[in-house]
Amino acid sequence: MLKNVFRSMFHVSIFVLLVFVLLLTPSCKKSTGESSSEQTKQQSSNNTRKEAEQTNEASVQLIPLDIKLPKPMFVGTPQNIRVPNLEKPLGRPRPPFLAPVGTENVALGKRVTGSDEEPIIGEIEMITDGDKEGADGSYVELGPFLQHVTIDLEAKYDIYAIVLWHFHKQARVYFDVVIQVADDPDFVTNVRTLFNNDHDNSSGLGIGSDMHYVETAEGKLIDAKGVRARYVRLCSNGNSSNDLNHYIEVGVFGKPAK
Amino acid sequence: MDNERIKKGINRRSFLRSTAALGAGLVLAPESFGQESVSETDDINVALLGAGAQGRVLVDSCLKIPCIRFKAVCDIWEDYNQRLLSRRLKAYRHEHNTYVDYKEMLADEKDLDAVIVATPDFWHAEHTIACLKAGLHVYCEKEMSNTIEGARRIVQAARESGKLLQIGHQRRSNPRYIHCFDRLLKDAKILGRITTVNGQWNRSAQLDLGWPKKATIDTNLLNKYGFTSMEQFRNWRWYKGLGGGPIVDLGSHQIDIYNWFLDANPKSVIAGGGTDYYDKETHQWYDNIMAIYEYETAQGTVRAFYQTITTNSSQGYFETFMGDQGTLVISESASRSDVYREPSAPDWDKWVKIGCLIEPAKKEQEKPETDAVLDVRETLAPPAYKLPVKFDDPYHKPHLENFFDAIRGKAKLNCPAEVGYETAVTVLKVNEAVEAARKLSFEPEEFNI
Repeated sequence: MLKNVFRSMFHVSIFVLLVFVLLLTPSCKKSTGESSSEQTKQQSSNNTRKEAEQTNEASVQLIPLDIKLPKPMFVGTPQNIRVPNLEKPLGRPRPPFLAPVGTENVALGKRVTGSDEEPIIGEIEMITDGDKEGADGSYVELGPFLQHVTIDLEAKYDIYAIVLWHFHKQARVYFDVVIQVADDPDFVTNVRTLFNNDHDNSSGLGIGSDMHYVETAEGKLIDAKGVRARYVRLCSNGNSSNDLNHYIEVGVFGKPAK
Repeated sequence: MDNERIKKGINRRSFLRSTAALGAGLVLAPESFGQESVSETDDINVALLGAGAQGRVLVDSCLKIPCIRFKAVCDIWEDYNQRLLSRRLKAYRHEHNTYVDYKEMLADEKDLDAVIVATPDFWHAEHTIACLKAGLHVYCEKEMSNTIEGARRIVQAARESGKLLQIGHQRRSNPRYIHCFDRLLKDAKILGRITTVNGQWNRSAQLDLGWPKKATIDTNLLNKYGFTSMEQFRNWRWYKGLGGGPIVDLGSHQIDIYNWFLDANPKSVIAGGGTDYYDKETHQWYDNIMAIYEYETAQGTVRAFYQTITTNSSQGYFETFMGDQGTLVISESASRSDVYREPSAPDWDKWVKIGCLIEPAKKEQEKPETDAVLDVRETLAPPAYKLPVKFDDPYHKPHLENFFDAIRGKAKLNCPAEVGYETAVTVLKVNEAVEAARKLSFEPEEFNI
């Protein structure tokens, strides 16, 4: 008796299940259709994310910085340059410096001001005119002892490298080279020092531990590590040949800050 | 140790800079950096004639010498050389006048004591003689002239004027070179009999000098002063009739040391060279030269080789004196000054003890790179003795100081007219020998005036 009851219940259940399946079939199609659309959306979303990721990856993708170098030029009687704490010359070209794609010289043509308003020779605009040659007519000579120049990048940039050429017509060492960035032209706000080889604080900007280096046509590259700033200031305090201060070119390699 | 070394370096630099700053009236009283005050009577009023690259080097050195006052600057390139140097001197508070015409300068400047002549070589004779005749002492850059005739007239003018004439062979006042000559060669005779000399000055290939186009000199003015073009004006050293080429510009400094250290003038020279790399039109003088001099010294014959090339800088510049007891390698660059003892020479300990030399640094035993214990194919490298003289000043400073001290009556000139003349005769003959393509002799009377 009980067995018959169970058998009847089983048959009913099968029937109900079949009806349910038959009733649900169109709905499943619809659902499948909806699911497909969502998958497309999902796919699209994934694609967008991938693109975004790719874009992000591109923004941090590092490639060698393209620095156009001037012709080497050493003329005249060599000068005595026994300088303490002097960096040993590499003796080979500088290794490529990697910076994010899109990094460029954002100082080119930008306004420069300086502590010496009447340079001895040349104009202060030469510092960002793109001319890196060592010849007469390509450099500005500022007065003796401590002098500085400030480049206004006109907006904030993420700065990855600063490359500077003081004077490469003759092997020389410039003293108390201090390179700082800041958010204001007076260097009061958010001042950060990127390079300092002033070992006795004669510049008053603090004692630095960076080494002296010999000027060459390659220029000196300072790794700025992506520091964000609008103003770049460079100080020096004479050189191994005389007390004067020279600049051929300063390149600030960066990207607009976002 | 490093900090101490850095500190010492900074102190020396600070001293030199303080001297220049004092000259500029910019800082500190003299006693504040340990120097006695110098009376105004020690001031020497100077004019610079020729404000090009070499003139600037000399002025930079003068700015580090107390009591030197620049009163005039003369240069035909008003818009660049003259302007640059004049403004540089103003920055150091040297009140002075500027001139294009040296005759005008000599006529107008009434309180000059001396003139530094750093014009192109072919102007040296006229400028130096005029200054001497004007009653001024003269420091004339080497080569004292591009011609023997010009150099001879300079010597005669110096004698007639009774004024001092220093020729700019600055190594003659370099304390390292003076130590080598006085202590090592004359006193200790440390090299034994010198038989051979070898020297060189090799430079990398260079582009011709350009100029800022907006500062181009008017052609008429260039012509008036002996130049056909701005290009020639800027690169006069390469032109016959104006300069003497690399053997004069570079070699003269070192061949002067040959004569000095050997205490003799050469008997003959044979030389080869040519303009093989640069454009012959614009590089009329030879871009490479190899010369062999023969000297007859009190000790015997010495053969002296000299090379200058301008297409490769390998090994830079140096002079090597080789005797049967040792070798001296010296260069104006302090990084190269070693003395090597021949194995058969007597012990040099006594020279070390009396401070003529510093004994070689003892190196730790290095592990051989190969299994070989001794490579018998060549002589073992001898240990290098060092010079005990440190010299960190600008190269030209002691030579200028010697000149100014001589004016004050406190020193004898290290390179007077006659010495400069002997060197000019020695060096200018090399260009002749190349052209003649044969050995040329020096007659003893060629060195006499």
